[in-house]
Amino acid sequence: MLKPLSPSRWDYTTAAHLLNRAGFGGTPAEINHLVQLGPDQAVASLVDYETIPDPVVNPAWAHPDPDRIKHYQALRDAATPEARRLLILEQNQFVQRSMVELRGWWLHRMAYGPRPFQEKMVLFWHGHFATSVEKVRDPYYMWQQNDLFRRHATGNWELLLLESGKDPAMLVWLDQAQSRKNHPNENYAREVMELFSLGEGHYTEKDISEGARALTGWSLDRINQEYVYRPFLHDNGEKVFLGRHGNLDGDDVIAQIVAQPQAARFITGKLWNYFAGQMPSEELNEALAGVFRENNNNFKPLLEVMFRSEEFYDAEIIRNQVKSPVQWLVGSVRMLECELPPPILCMGMLRQLGQDLFNPPNVKGWDGGITWITTNTLLTRYNDAQSLVRGTPPNLTAADFAPKAGGQGGQKVAHFAAQLRMGGVALDKIFTPAELANKNELVASLERRLLQAPLSGQQEQTLNDFLAAKPQLTHDDILTVIRLVMSTPEYQVA
Amino acid sequence: MKNEITLQTRRQFLRTTMLGSALSWTVPAFLADTFSALHAGAADSATQIVTGKDATILVVLQMAGGNDGINTVVPYSSDDYHRARPRLGLTGDQIIKINGDVGFNAALAGFKDLYDAGQLSVIQGVGYPNPNRSHFRSTEIWQTASDADRIEKYGWLGRYFDNACAGADPTVGVTIGNQLPEAFFAKQPKGIVFNNPQNYRFVSGEHAKMGGADMTEESYKKLNELEMSGNAPEDNSGGSIASLPAGMPMQGGRAVDFITRTALDAQVSSDEVRAIAARVKNQAEYPASQLGSSLGLVSKLIGGGLPTRVYYVSQGGYDTHTNQIGTQQRLLKDLGDSLKAFTADLKAQGNMQRVVVMTFSEFGRRVAENANGGTDHGAAAPMFVIGNQVKAGLLGRYPSLAPADLYQGDIRYNVDFRSIYAGLLEDWLKTPSAPILGRQFENLKVV
Repeated sequence: MLKPLSPSRWDYTTAAHLLNRAGFGGTPAEINHLVQLGPDQAVASLVDYETIPDPVVNPAWAHPDPDRIKHYQALRDAATPEARRLLILEQNQFVQRSMVELRGWWLHRMAYGPRPFQEKMVLFWHGHFATSVEKVRDPYYMWQQNDLFRRHATGNWELLLLESGKDPAMLVWLDQAQSRKNHPNENYAREVMELFSLGEGHYTEKDISEGARALTGWSLDRINQEYVYRPFLHDNGEKVFLGRHGNLDGDDVIAQIVAQPQAARFITGKLWNYFAGQMPSEELNEALAGVFRENNNNFKPLLEVMFRSEEFYDAEIIRNQVKSPVQWLVGSVRMLECELPPPILCMGMLRQLGQDLFNPPNVKGWDGGITWITTNTLLTRYNDAQSLVRGTPPNLTAADFAPKAGGQGGQKVAHFAAQLRMGGVALDKIFTPAELANKNELVASLERRLLQAPLSGQQEQTLNDFLAAKPQLTHDDILTVIRLVMSTPEYQVA
Repeated sequence: MKNEITLQTRRQFLRTTMLGSALSWTVPAFLADTFSALHAGAADSATQIVTGKDATILVVLQMAGGNDGINTVVPYSSDDYHRARPRLGLTGDQIIKINGDVGFNAALAGFKDLYDAGQLSVIQGVGYPNPNRSHFRSTEIWQTASDADRIEKYGWLGRYFDNACAGADPTVGVTIGNQLPEAFFAKQPKGIVFNNPQNYRFVSGEHAKMGGADMTEESYKKLNELEMSGNAPEDNSGGSIASLPAGMPMQGGRAVDFITRTALDAQVSSDEVRAIAARVKNQAEYPASQLGSSLGLVSKLIGGGLPTRVYYVSQGGYDTHTNQIGTQQRLLKDLGDSLKAFTADLKAQGNMQRVVVMTFSEFGRRVAENANGGTDHGAAAPMFVIGNQVKAGLLGRYPSLAPADLYQGDIRYNVDFRSIYAGLLEDWLKTPSAPILGRQFENLKVV
């Protein structure tokens, strides 16, 4: 189990696989660079990102609001209902504007940032601790949680669970901020075990109610916008949680969870599934959990072993994962060497494709895998490919920008979005003159760049027929061929 | 039947062959036969085919934003009502009386006609235990039919598709809108979503040339077809890539096989939907609203014989915190008029017997009006079920508006919405409800 991959298998295919899964894919030049490095150095170049400078500047509003209390007072003292309505409207507009910016900021990090693997982990943790702005309604909290996932991306399991539990967005999302000793709210206590660390069947209903009692006191300071421990909300009675007795508090709850062997198995299985595209066998997951525990529940050593292992490069694993919408969009931009669309368009596209960042469908996160693909998301991918390649705006309407539950907003945004332009593909950037001059070379080059594998004989024939029918290949014809390669089932997997 | 195989029937053949063949994911063999037979006869069929020509259809209509149920079905004789709503309380000709106690908001004249014709069931006081007042969360509870303290991953209609429609045509569920509603979330995602049939398609971008074939579109179709060599897909992987172990490409059950099947579904359903929308004409006048056009489209698709069991349409704007009267009147008039047109259209088509419409909203609103001429988020509200087969009239009883009977300012529910889901699943869609709803709810016999 988990033997390192033989260097003899290290080539364009396996290096591309690593870059697709531990990052968001890349250009043939980037893949070839990894081939040159050899498997160990290639993995290290992605996973050992701490020494790579990260110059990305945070959004201007990514800090506590110094005038928070004034805003509350203004709202309370509004002279008329109309004045109050305007204040609320202004606040809502700020939330919407900032959240569009935040989505763009994060996608930009994924597409162009110096640490793609770190962002891939942030995306994992976002799907794992799935928190939605629909309820949190505070861009600063959403940014802060995102930043927390980045800081702890490959860190320690117990520390991550502790910090994510005390994170303001989570305190709001799962109602821990409203929990108090006489009325403990069980929402977080339940989900931290069911969804974040153990899975159903590894705790009792009694553990939930006792855990909720222990967690009382974890609270949110809404003025300073930070976690606060409030002793007067804490239940100081005796509790029994997962077999441990005492006047337990929230930190004890997390420590006791992580002490369960299942807490390692749960997260190593989920990580393998995220990176390899399928759940590990029981035997493989025991081996992964073993590595994880030997390394004191630190993620980085585990991930290094994973990405070097033979199992990760099995024929069942390579090119057998459905790209998530984010992977599809960011990966396309990287492989096509074109610009990421403006944030508002990215948001609309990802919503249509089923993965609106900062807005997962519920606390279970995105289901992933084949559920990304429906008849309409597939057609949308094929049509969005056209937009990316040609730089024409995608087909978005007001409803794609409206708040999720109710409301009719979005008209203005849609109108604005329709005016925006995108970069499109520059042919001389991705093809050599020789490739542009030779129809067979053109198709082979696209296969290397976009699929890192050949299409079927019939598919190649279809593309060759298309090219053969054009006596004089135009710029437009070549863009169409790129789009056609992206409009195949094969392009939807990596 | 014609002897020549057109492109269209060839793709349908491919799809049905894939469904029935050993490489498909979950489809039992007997279904393959059904599908081949159904598709063979489907081309000109004017009726539903998925489970026989008399299959029933459910139309779910979401009133998004939280409709004020109290001013929709108005308890006009209640003093508590008028005390709680000095400005918003409806009186006189703002009401169409149903009986001595309750009446429709006068904007719902369309509903009164349906009610008198025995086609409308009004279920009073529908809600669920521990009501949640967040749009987001309460919508989710209605969409997934979960308990208020449980998160469910899949929607109630998605679980219906998973449980009762394995291997069905992708058009078994159709949403008119932009996004798949959470109610459709499923283990094996099914159902199609579109606003405008013209957008539910591969857009070639090539300018239509008179008489000339669209090469981009034809190429796309060929790139997404199962190959016609007659071999199993293991054998037609075409080129090889040096470093991939033998046998690697395209084994049964690989993700790309699933996507290829979905691509065929997309082609076939996209062609069908656009053909039907162009061919079938509405036989009633719909309001010029989003809801009107959605229902007009649903009617066309039913008339055109799309093998759909569940349609989903929605109408937004019910979050009436300020100046409620005019906004709600406009929305309810649109609702009543659209549904009246829809039923008239279906009747003219001869399909009224096969269709039931169910409305829902994530919550009702507070009994007391607020200071802005509106109402805030509440709890229970009435639901409407429409069709020839429904148990017409007022069902359940109107919850008390007496201050002592309220729970945190809201009326208390009498009927759990899941007992209506249970009734529709069992008696209309003819499938056991417990596996879908998680447990056996009392079946409120609405049909």
